[in-house]
Amino acid sequence: MTTTLRRNDYTLSDEQDQLVAMLRSLFSEKSPISVVRDAEPLGFDAQLWATVRDNGLLTISVPAEAGGDGGGLIELVLTGIEIGRTAAPVPLLDHVVALRTLARLKDEGVELAEGSWESALAGETILSLAPISSWELGAELVPSGALAKSVLAFKDGSVILMTREGLAEQAPNEGCTPVAWWDPTDASVSVTTLLSGDQAAELWELTRREWRIATAASLVGILAMAGEIARAYSVERQAFGVRIAQFQAISHDLVDMHMDELTSRNMTLKAAWLTEHEPDFRPELAAMAMAQATRSVLRSTAKAVHVHGGMGITLEADISLFYRKAAAWALVGGGTRRDLEEISKAVDRRAIERTRWHETHELAKR
Amino acid sequence: MDFSEVELTAEQQAFEKELRDLLDTNWTPDYAHISLDHDRAPDAVRTGMVERGWIHPHFAPDAGGAGLGEIEQQIISSLFEEFYMASPGGNDLLIPTLDKHGSEWLKANVLPGLRTGELSTCLGYSEPDSGSDMAAAKTRAVRDGDMWTINGQKMWTTGAHHADYVFLLARTGPIEEKHRTLTMFLVPMNLPGVQATPIWILGGGRTNVTFYTDVEVSDDYRIGGVNDGWSVMSTPLATEHGAGVVTEGVTPVNGSMGQSFSRTFAKLIDGAIDWAASRKDAEGRSRLEDPLVRMALAEAMLDLEMCWNAAGELGKPMAAEALATNADRLADMAAPEGILDFGVDGKIAAGIIASQRLHSPGTAIYGGTTEIYRNNLARRLGLPRPY
Repeated sequence: MTTTLRRNDYTLSDEQDQLVAMLRSLFSEKSPISVVRDAEPLGFDAQLWATVRDNGLLTISVPAEAGGDGGGLIELVLTGIEIGRTAAPVPLLDHVVALRTLARLKDEGVELAEGSWESALAGETILSLAPISSWELGAELVPSGALAKSVLAFKDGSVILMTREGLAEQAPNEGCTPVAWWDPTDASVSVTTLLSGDQAAELWELTRREWRIATAASLVGILAMAGEIARAYSVERQAFGVRIAQFQAISHDLVDMHMDELTSRNMTLKAAWLTEHEPDFRPELAAMAMAQATRSVLRSTAKAVHVHGGMGITLEADISLFYRKAAAWALVGGGTRRDLEEISKAVDRRAIERTRWHETHELAKR
Repeated sequence: MDFSEVELTAEQQAFEKELRDLLDTNWTPDYAHISLDHDRAPDAVRTGMVERGWIHPHFAPDAGGAGLGEIEQQIISSLFEEFYMASPGGNDLLIPTLDKHGSEWLKANVLPGLRTGELSTCLGYSEPDSGSDMAAAKTRAVRDGDMWTINGQKMWTTGAHHADYVFLLARTGPIEEKHRTLTMFLVPMNLPGVQATPIWILGGGRTNVTFYTDVEVSDDYRIGGVNDGWSVMSTPLATEHGAGVVTEGVTPVNGSMGQSFSRTFAKLIDGAIDWAASRKDAEGRSRLEDPLVRMALAEAMLDLEMCWNAAGELGKPMAAEALATNADRLADMAAPEGILDFGVDGKIAAGIIASQRLHSPGTAIYGGTTEIYRNNLARRLGLPRPY
């Protein structure tokens, strides 16, 4: 046996720092909570969509050969975090992940419908994907499905593109996220098979990973904002003559929320970097990032509501909006059960490494 | 951002081989020997490392080290993990403090041995009536000219039975003045009046209660100013807590104690995987194929990855609590054999699950309870002091 070491560096480059600053200022200005509320119940703001398009955010993580700016998953994660911080009502992450997969298909020589790539890249049509289609038969709830003209899915071993003329109707939900039922057997849906065989399975696996990473990033943003809101309230609100942050029962929950946020953020960045640079190394990391962000955002937004006492459960409180968004955004991909199924494949890989350890080492008798 | 594999230089590969040979020759991997910081590497390994300057490899060769970098330090951690051996112990926590505050005499006579690791230390902070609230210490040092007389007792002086010195927090003024009347000393353990008595803890580890009865120690052994003990102690305490860990290079971001708990946690998972791979259900299928077993192991692996991504001071409470939660989870998964300890027929992976479950509550207590950590972290978040 020999030791292998890996670097463990999460620092952002100067360019990435600048990108974050730009995104922070753009979304805080253009997506204040009033815009988010006005966009409900659909969860989409056409003007904000035009703004993100005009600022180049749709093409930032699309390969240069396909007409994009050649950025990668890290840039998409940084964008996702800022989207989450403001609960921005735009389907940017689903759309960009779908664009990245279509760009790979184009690169493989797959023909797309005339003009469809250009209009998607320009944000004139919206794309999405069906993250649980490889598990489910028939219809499934698709994130951004009520906004999308076309949806990528994986059925019977093939990557398919479902396209419909009119928009699907939103499936109403407390989070006011634009999910809709899509059914490949529906007469109003036309289905094109884009890729089959092992290559298709591989491509879908990568697509799922990227979607998990991008979605986890948006949850990191929700975690960050929920933490900020709760901390601000805790140092303002007085009870028994002191600020409630002075009670450890409150401050320790705030610390736990912070731990959830930072671990979710680090795991998402690490998964993004490794998926991009070494996709065969620890392929479970994307599912881990998603599972961590999901469980974190569920418990931490609940704590953030609790810190507010009765105010927290009122619909007018900002924190209750983030609580509603948290579950809707986190669970639309099928929940942590499916992430854990993916993670459990790492158990088999570790079992093989353990066999190797036992072949190399004796063990003291006990 | 960079998570790529480090390509080892020829020198680094040779370093790994030399260390591997040292361990291979002197040690058989032992699942029981991972009891966090309560065991230490056997003398043959320690001596071999002292001779090579490997106890503190990052120090310059003329300062007791070997002038090696972060990569070699991580190779050491990684091989000790592979060989299931507790760390050789070091004096990292105290050396910077002695450099800064130690008397000339200590620097000339004791520091060199601490630097090579030939001499070892233990920490004398807690007492029977004070733990996390260290400023309530009662152990008293009274001055008479150039000599001090120390009376009192310290709890949880882990390693005292093989340490050469204790880094002792003593009261040198009215107790009402709390942290303003504390002074630090480096007290030789072989002085008359110093006595270490074992305390056996859950999981079989040993720590100590140490008694100091009319211990006469020269002023040369004082560290820092009289009544400056609180600030003298703050640096090693922060280091122990993993504060200020840089998120660069190859060192895990998870701070010092968190890192050691995470390594223990990793071994717990490996033991559970060994169990699952070795057992079959009534139909003859490997337990590794059992969906419930897979789910429990996947959740444990997720928690471990979370711990490795917890930076600095966050690492300790997170890793301590994840270790406890998962020791329960895995003992339950492997029930009923999960309760069997070392040396028992039918035990799992040499009893590692049961022993780590027993050990895990301590990890959330020693070196500062998880509550103390959360108080510190709350202050870093800009929250006010507790009511």
